[in-house]
Amino acid sequence: MSGADIVVQVLADEGTKVLFGYSGGAILPVYDAIFRYNALHRDAGGRDRLALVVPANEQGAGFMASGFARASGGVGVAVVTSGPGATNLVTPIRDALADSIPMVAICGQVPTAALGSDAFQEAPVANIMGACAKHVFLVTDATQLEATLRTAFELARSGRPGPVVVDIPKNVQNAVQPFDGERHLPIPGYRRRLEAVEHARLDDADCERLLDALAQARRPLIYAGGGVVASGAAPALRAFSRAFGLPAVTSLMGLGVMDTRDPLALHMLGMHGTAYANYAVEDCDFLLVLGARFDDRVAGVPDKFAPRAKFIAQIDIDPAEVGKVKAVDWAHVGQLGASLERIAHYARSRGVRLQLDDWHAHLAALKRAHAMNYDRASPLIQPQAVIEAINRQTQGRAIIATGVGQHQMWSAQFFDFAEPRHWLTSGSMGTMGFGLPAAIGAQFAHPGAMVIDVDGDGSIRMNVGELETVATYGLPLKIVLLNNHGDGMVRQWQKLFFKGRYSATDKNLHTKDFVRAAQADGIAWARRLERKEDLEATVAEFLAVAGPAFLEVVVDPDAGVYPMVGPGASYAQMITGDFIPSRAAPPPVDAEASTMHMF
Amino acid sequence: MKHTLSILLQNESGALVRVAGLFAARHVNIDALTVAATHDPAISQLTLVLHGDEGTLEQILRQLRKLVDVLDVSSLSLMGGFGQPALAAHT
Repeated sequence: MSGADIVVQVLADEGTKVLFGYSGGAILPVYDAIFRYNALHRDAGGRDRLALVVPANEQGAGFMASGFARASGGVGVAVVTSGPGATNLVTPIRDALADSIPMVAICGQVPTAALGSDAFQEAPVANIMGACAKHVFLVTDATQLEATLRTAFELARSGRPGPVVVDIPKNVQNAVQPFDGERHLPIPGYRRRLEAVEHARLDDADCERLLDALAQARRPLIYAGGGVVASGAAPALRAFSRAFGLPAVTSLMGLGVMDTRDPLALHMLGMHGTAYANYAVEDCDFLLVLGARFDDRVAGVPDKFAPRAKFIAQIDIDPAEVGKVKAVDWAHVGQLGASLERIAHYARSRGVRLQLDDWHAHLAALKRAHAMNYDRASPLIQPQAVIEAINRQTQGRAIIATGVGQHQMWSAQFFDFAEPRHWLTSGSMGTMGFGLPAAIGAQFAHPGAMVIDVDGDGSIRMNVGELETVATYGLPLKIVLLNNHGDGMVRQWQKLFFKGRYSATDKNLHTKDFVRAAQADGIAWARRLERKEDLEATVAEFLAVAGPAFLEVVVDPDAGVYPMVGPGASYAQMITGDFIPSRAAPPPVDAEASTMHMF
Repeated sequence: MKHTLSILLQNESGALVRVAGLFAARHVNIDALTVAATHDPAISQLTLVLHGDEGTLEQILRQLRKLVDVLDVSSLSLMGGFGQPALAAHT
């Protein structure tokens, strides 16, 4: 087999059904092998066994692979050429690492003899990606290609998942090798550490100490993050929460691990979390942190985070996350689901029962008194109202992708999520332009599902070329553009912290006709909604379109995202805005002091 | 405080860059670095000196153990500060 055929065979063996990528000189042998593989292998419906999805830009391919992985739980695969093809993939790779998303990226590279010669379309991909990926392989020995590719999938999936880049010089793609079908690289250090984590078991003393603290707690709370999604531990979390009556807040990445409509679910905490989630964190006396990492958007001031918690416990698969930001009283590095089941089992055998009626009543009162709200009386369409209108129809069952900014936070706040993997967002990196390609990837993972990209005018423009990809592949994707004519989140910060000096945000996003752009790219159902009274009917019609549909909603340009825990502020200083009652009037924002902590 | 790390590294393409790059990305300075061959040609031994507090040391050790090429890391910290340095080994 040629190296290129080996690449395709390993992809197929690993269960890859869809590839996202853009061709070019240094990856031509692999693309040829894909073509030949599909000519010989058809699925039951006569379709290509390895569907190839071609984006407008390699960044699109990366985010499609990421969206595919986030929605399906499998490994997303991107295949690109050398030089600019690979460097266009840097942002999605870093984004996937930051959000712990399993991906394998295959990059063509100039022939080994030309490496380092400043050849045409050469870039030092191993160096560049080394800082961005979970691991990078440069395959200079053709005999190692098969084992390297298989190991790349293993690395992407195992432990804390992440993206793995395999850089393959063109001559290695052309070299003929025997195909073994089994080979892996030894990677002894990684395997030894992985096995230790995967086999780590909580002993009786660990369980005892945790349950002693929990039994003494009157206001215990779970803080669940993306690790619960990644490890498939949402059912274990729900069972654990129910068994003890433990309420839970989730991070942005953890949305959906609890059904957001569950009485024990308090939705999102953090900078733009719900007021009641943040007050619950302020009030709790025991915090169990599951697959979450005290990110600065959650614990901007770690010392003042959960200030009344007498006991903080943390379970994570990554030892480096324990104690990185905030010291904890109890920690376990291991599998989340198995750990929760072990603790619950031990608690049952000990007959541990919690009396949390007062705490439940307190939280229910917080939910009522500080419910999410916005300017419902405004004559302008409020972006939150658009999300509520969609949510009334989708009932927490739609897969929602977003860009980054205000629309992302409103989506996180106002959508319901019945299950994990229905919420696809660039959480850690905060990459504008993520939403549209991620939604495309998710639609390929779930062809029959309702997939909606809720985007902003700034974000969608960054990968707007992918509108054409939606039409090319006839995807039934729904794209909602909340157009506030500008970078709303940047404006919000400029208003709050820079005395209303709208540097840069006063210069762009005023001229583009998005509806005509969508139509030009082949999306026949493309409309602009400007009148509030048309909202409900237009959204219903939009969601009922059988094929792709694009809905631009012209929204109040001054709508803000609240609550807001400002940079460098504690939850006690949370600003709830004009429409959500605050528990105490927050102290005035000190613009000069805030800018010191600002990022 | 100065800390001396001993790192066993697989001799893979780019492995040294990934170790050095980790320190740069985590904003930890390398004061000294030597690389030596071992009896196994597939494995190199790195001896690395950094300065930082205990938290910095602990975090960089944990991050180093996430690098796929790293076989083992141990810290040989020069303890003391009254002119009587003692050698203490951690893992």
